[in-house]
Amino acid sequence: MTASAPRRPPLRPALGRSLSGPLRPVVSLGFVLAIWSAVSLAGLVNEALFPAPWTVVSAFIEMARQGVLWEDLRVSLGRAAIGFFIGAGLGVAAGLATGRTQLFRMLLGPFLSLMRPIPAIALVPVAIVWFGIGEESKYFVIAYTVFLTVWFNTHHGMEYVPEIYIRASRSLGASRLREFLVVVIPAAAPHIAAGIRLGVALALLSLVAAELTGASSGIGYRLQEARQYVRTDRMFALLIVLGAAGALVDQAVHRICRRLVHWEQA
Amino acid sequence: MMAHAADTRGRVEFRAVEIAFDGRRGPTPAVTRTTLTLEPGTFTAIIGPSGCGKSTLLNAAAGFIAPAHGEILVDGAPVRGPDPEIGVIFQQYALFPWLTALGNVDFALRRFGFSRAERRQKAMAALAEVGLRGQEKKFPGQLSGGMKQRVAIARTFAGRPKALLMDEPFGALDAQTRGSMHDLLSGVWRAHLATVLFITHDVDEALVLADRIHVMSSGPGRIVESFELSAARPRSAARFDAAQLAMRARILDLLRPAAEPAA
Ligand SMILES: Nc1ncnc2c1ncn2[C@@H]1O[C@H](COP(=O)(O)OP(=O)(O)OP(=O)(O)O)[C@@H](O)[C@H]1O
Ligand SMILES: [Mg+2]
Repeated sequence: MTASAPRRPPLRPALGRSLSGPLRPVVSLGFVLAIWSAVSLAGLVNEALFPAPWTVVSAFIEMARQGVLWEDLRVSLGRAAIGFFIGAGLGVAAGLATGRTQLFRMLLGPFLSLMRPIPAIALVPVAIVWFGIGEESKYFVIAYTVFLTVWFNTHHGMEYVPEIYIRASRSLGASRLREFLVVVIPAAAPHIAAGIRLGVALALLSLVAAELTGASSGIGYRLQEARQYVRTDRMFALLIVLGAAGALVDQAVHRICRRLVHWEQA
Repeated sequence: MMAHAADTRGRVEFRAVEIAFDGRRGPTPAVTRTTLTLEPGTFTAIIGPSGCGKSTLLNAAAGFIAPAHGEILVDGAPVRGPDPEIGVIFQQYALFPWLTALGNVDFALRRFGFSRAERRQKAMAALAEVGLRGQEKKFPGQLSGGMKQRVAIARTFAGRPKALLMDEPFGALDAQTRGSMHDLLSGVWRAHLATVLFITHDVDEALVLADRIHVMSSGPGRIVESFELSAARPRSAARFDAAQLAMRARILDLLRPAAEPAA
């Protein structure tokens, strides 16, 4: 492994070979947009059920002018962020405990594995009974989903710390505390980072479920509202905003994680 | 420089050591009743076919696994687990990839209670000693195999071990790099006066480095023949003396599968 050697570009399938980095999403979106426009122009679909791109754009502009769009986005992302931080914080803590301590693994491991298949939306009734229809129930649903994923990844990262690092650490006279902080946690960090990234994606995914617990603002709420008025153009605009916000946040988190676990690329 | 303190430190004794692993039909011995003494400050090589129990023996001395019978003593004290007095150098380097070269050496210095500045100065000196001046800020992923093993050597010696266990440390390096690592290790070893147990597959490597060579055989693992070397240092694989050449021929015979009793 010589670091100074120039990197070869990764091998790509023939079709994608000529498209490089930053252009790719533009090309992909342009392609989908072209098909969507063509289908709309050809009158193949009912415009009321499947709006044309330009109809969606004007719905977007309408909502943006009314100011609800940015407010909804702010509220929704705020909820996702708070739910995420609660869930991720608890998930990392639980993973650190169950991944390395026999006692906690025994006490919590099977229970957490049992909870894992329960989807966020199934928790909505419980959340409403426990926390009412205030903000807490939204945080709860989001935090729950994030927690399980982050815990699971952290747990596995901690469990499979290569034995050779532990051996090296102990042979060099490290205390158990230093071994944990300087060896075990960094060794598990790539898994923890992967869990965090999944957690961010899940926070945004469970957001809409969370906003089913009776909200009066937020993207999820606005989607429900659009359904009542059968405004598919607004629904599409909201879904696209949600998708774009999610992709941007995911990219940002990906970049941060890559810097934090920089040695993984080597 | 004559250091008399070194004469009394780092005696490693294997007393009737037997090591077994749980197999399908109960525990199977990987190493049988081995008795071996490494005198302080000497360099001992163990050579043998793959799977004969070399790593197992070394791992027991390192405190990573416990013998089923017998005991291993370092300066009279039984080995009960990994111990900073017993340094280990692994074939896979085992550097912490999230720490720089300097950070890796610093890790070994923590146990002494030096100040931050002292640790830094000592870590820089340790890296300079293995020829890595100017590479201190690099991460292991940015270093070649040979450079990584230099960092590992600097790190282990920085912990001032009495005994040093090396399991095929240069096995993954090309012949040329290996040659320069031999010179480096011989130099550092003489400067630090530790007792070395060195495992290898390579007869020439053993003949260049060691004072004593033990040949192991498998089924189950045991020492079948031992050799004393008195050739002057520094040595080179290109200029073996007659005794070394005779030893080389004998060891190669021992290692040939046909020469082994049917296992
Ligand atoms: N953790 C383990 N569990 C069960 N058996 C093991 C274990 N480690 C080693 N063995 C067995 O013990 C024997 C000796 O293994 P060891 O790794 O010591 O060989 P070695 O001489 O170091 O070989 P090599 O030169 O290939 O490194 C082998 O038969 C191996 O299958
Ligand atoms: Mg081995």
